Amino acid sequence: MRGRKLYSLILLNGGIGSRVAAGQPKQFVSVNGLPIIVYSLVAADAVDEIDEIILNYPEGWRDDVEKLVVDYAVRKPVTYAPAGATRHESVRSLLPLARNEHVLLHETARPLVTAADFRRLIASPHDNVSFMLPIPFTVAPVDPATGKVTGHLERDRLRNVQLPQKYRLSDLADAHAYAEANGLIFTEDGTLATVAGKDVYFLDGADRNFKVTTATDVRLAGFLLGGDDEGE
Amino acid sequence: MSERRSVLITGASKGIGAATAERFMAADNGVTDLILLARESAEFTATQERLHAGNPHGKAIRPYYVDLADRARTVGVLKDVMAEVGRVDILVNNAGYTSPRAFQQVEFADFERTMAVNLYAPFTLVQELLHNGNTFELIVNIASTAGMAGRPGWLTYSASKAALITMSEVMKEELAIYGTRVVCISPGRCATDLRKTLAPDEDPTTIMQPEDVAGVIEMLTTDVGRFVDSRNLVVRL
Ligand SMILES: NC(=O)c1ccc[n+]([C@@H]2O[C@H](COP(=O)([O-])OP(=O)(O)OC[C@H]3O[C@@H](n4cnc5c(N)ncnc54)[C@H](OP(=O)(O)O)[C@@H]3O)[C@@H](O)[C@H]2O)c1
Repeated sequence: MRGRKLYSLILLNGGIGSRVAAGQPKQFVSVNGLPIIVYSLVAADAVDEIDEIILNYPEGWRDDVEKLVVDYAVRKPVTYAPAGATRHESVRSLLPLARNEHVLLHETARPLVTAADFRRLIASPHDNVSFMLPIPFTVAPVDPATGKVTGHLERDRLRNVQLPQKYRLSDLADAHAYAEANGLIFTEDGTLATVAGKDVYFLDGADRNFKVTTATDVRLAGFLLGGDDEGE
Repeated sequence: MSERRSVLITGASKGIGAATAERFMAADNGVTDLILLARESAEFTATQERLHAGNPHGKAIRPYYVDLADRARTVGVLKDVMAEVGRVDILVNNAGYTSPRAFQQVEFADFERTMAVNLYAPFTLVQELLHNGNTFELIVNIASTAGMAGRPGWLTYSASKAALITMSEVMKEELAIYGTRVVCISPGRCATDLRKTLAPDEDPTTIMQPEDVAGVIEMLTTDVGRFVDSRNLVVRL
């Protein structure tokens, strides 16, 4: 334990399209028989360096989320907070609740995250780090208004941004203050912090750790979590 | 951080459960606490005395007296276990009950009791301990070959064991998120009181002994036991 940094995990609930969720909040969508939210909670619960979890809940569902935490034997202290109108806003409103100088950011829509993923992120010597994936296809910049392709992007210099990520709390708070002052809204925090002048690094992520957004994704994640996909 | 590792065995007063407790007592396997559940009886007392008499590794023996058909009491006892021992690393759901009758003669209350002891008690043990914040390293559920195919006269017992086999399959999948291993064992006929109830005329010396099944249960907790991944492990002579 000597000199070890402790982390607060901020767990977001965005992602899954509302049609997939079929009337219930997205974090209760069943993947391989369990509510999707459970996978991230249990993975984080196994990481010694995480000493608190900050969880946002959809309006009106706090009791249900609290019950899941008990039912699934999550032992870390959990702080509950209402979800913001946007992801950007949720992150900003959750930051002041973190009691550690270092935070991890994850979203429940990525149920294939592992305790080892969190540990790899924590082990990085940098303060601000995101898992990112190389892009196996070509992306083109376009002008949707005119329908014209406007140039070329080198895919070696592009990455698919994943979660989890980690930040020094003050850096991420500065970045959100910068966005507020400049009227900017971001869909993720790695690029936000970079634009706000912070150094952000990346680690190669795993393609398994994809974001569940469609009904097909739910089935694919269920298949991968079924455990028999390792090959013999 | 405590270095304790505990095993909870239900039905530890006699038969396979008592033999399993003796195996764990003798083994140099890092298990420090034996949590033993059964109703109060002279047999249970004698078993505890035997265990205390041969305790080479200085393990703690912690008996709890409960009728596993009484869910409310069982829940209470599990709270006590968590308060007093703090953790259950290995759970052996071994207690079993049967009163064989032909379909036409089954008393519904007895059917309910059979389900309560053989199926609902294992469910309650796992769920209550989880809700108390305990995650397991290994869960062993003792079903029976009688749960794999129905036999005339054994309706309630066969049905309860068949349900235990499928419940174990679901548990195995769902508890994998904690790294918990779940193994279901189906013994064939084994020389115990329960077998005497099922087959009164059989010579017990000709069939499998409780120590044999206990040996398989203990094997599951060893390094090689990790590699046993079976939907239902049949153990028979
Ligand atoms: N023997 C076989 O041929 C055979 C074959 C396949 C499977 N099995 C299974 O093996 C397991 C162990 O049985 P066994 O053969 O060793 O029989 P046993 O010698 O009769 O032991 C049964 C154990 O279950 C406990 N038990 C029964 N009802 C209980 C209740 N209401 N509350 C608390 N404990 C209760 C008994 O404790 P008390 O002292 O409180 O009665 C005893 O410790 C059972 O699940 C059985 O179905 C046995």
